Amino acid sequence: MDELELLKKQWQTREQEFPKLSYKEIYKMLLKKSSSIVKWIFLISIGEIILWTLLAFVVPESSREINNGIGLKTTFLVINIINYVVFAVFIFLFYKNYLSIKVTDSIKGLMETILRTRRTVKYFVIYNVGASVLLLIGINLFYYTKKDQLYQLMIENYEGYSAIPPESFTSIFFISQLIGGVIMIGLLLLFYRVVYGILLRRLQKNYKELEEIEV
Amino acid sequence: MPLTKELEHSFVSQLEENQNIVHKICRLYTNDSDAHNDLFQEITIQLWRAFPKFRGDSKFSTWMYRVALNTAITLYRKSKRSIKTQDFEGVSFKISAETYDDTVEEQLKLMYSAVKDLNDIDKALVFLYLEDKNYREISQTLGITEVNARVKMNRIKDKLRTILNP
Repeated sequence: MDELELLKKQWQTREQEFPKLSYKEIYKMLLKKSSSIVKWIFLISIGEIILWTLLAFVVPESSREINNGIGLKTTFLVINIINYVVFAVFIFLFYKNYLSIKVTDSIKGLMETILRTRRTVKYFVIYNVGASVLLLIGINLFYYTKKDQLYQLMIENYEGYSAIPPESFTSIFFISQLIGGVIMIGLLLLFYRVVYGILLRRLQKNYKELEEIEV
Repeated sequence: MPLTKELEHSFVSQLEENQNIVHKICRLYTNDSDAHNDLFQEITIQLWRAFPKFRGDSKFSTWMYRVALNTAITLYRKSKRSIKTQDFEGVSFKISAETYDDTVEEQLKLMYSAVKDLNDIDKALVFLYLEDKNYREISQTLGITEVNARVKMNRIKDKLRTILNP
């Protein structure tokens, strides 16, 4: 193989034709680990929308019937549409952050994207938790105004409820709603704290490192 | 954390010193400068992730060959389709022309593009061969036996011969 030997000889002598990266340039590459964190944020937000959509399918038929019977069908539809639109906007923003962190090659640009991503995540969490709390309060207020109709529907759909006398129904129902709601919001907060909390802390650490070399 | 800082400093300066190894791998596995830079960065990140496990029982450069080639091979597998559509300009082999006449340069170009057309593993083997590594080093870097490395290399030479003289 003369050609291979020729190539080998040539290979040894062409060390100098590559661009020489400086210490700082290589160091900056290490800091690009942020881009994978931002990518995860983007992917998790997509995972979340899939999760909520799937959860909507496991809502029991009886509870859907109650809500339809009491006149919340259209309201839920509208809320759902708004929710998906807002989610789509957030996913788009996360994607935009990911794109910009991928192409940026200045430390300053990187820091800005990290800040922006943190802000987007913050708003995302506030929206999700806030909307859930408002929705729970709103629905229960609505239930309260129609508590007699609700009682009828509950008796029709759940056997156990006929054992409860109408006088104590209101307090039992709303107390259990309250407990259920608090647990749900608590779980939601825990979920965000764990998932996004870890990612945001890493971003923050990276941001501090960037700050050090920028000054 | 001063420990992380020290580790970072030692890593970056060693990589800076040995960066040509990574550049050569990038040149071999990619076709344009964007892809070259992307691969360089990916290798840097993989090296940095693996660095805490590097105990210094081998030379930094030896360890680097292994991690960098593994990264290139893994990425190459993922983007097999895009590699296939390489333009001829991209594979051109820049050499200082004044010392070589046209035929030699032409031969080198053909050889280089033939090497670039090899599959990911074969390419890694040829790369180490071009780097003047002996079969023991090659086998250790790629995690195969020495005999296997020799047999593979002979097959690759055959393959290259048929590509060059169809």
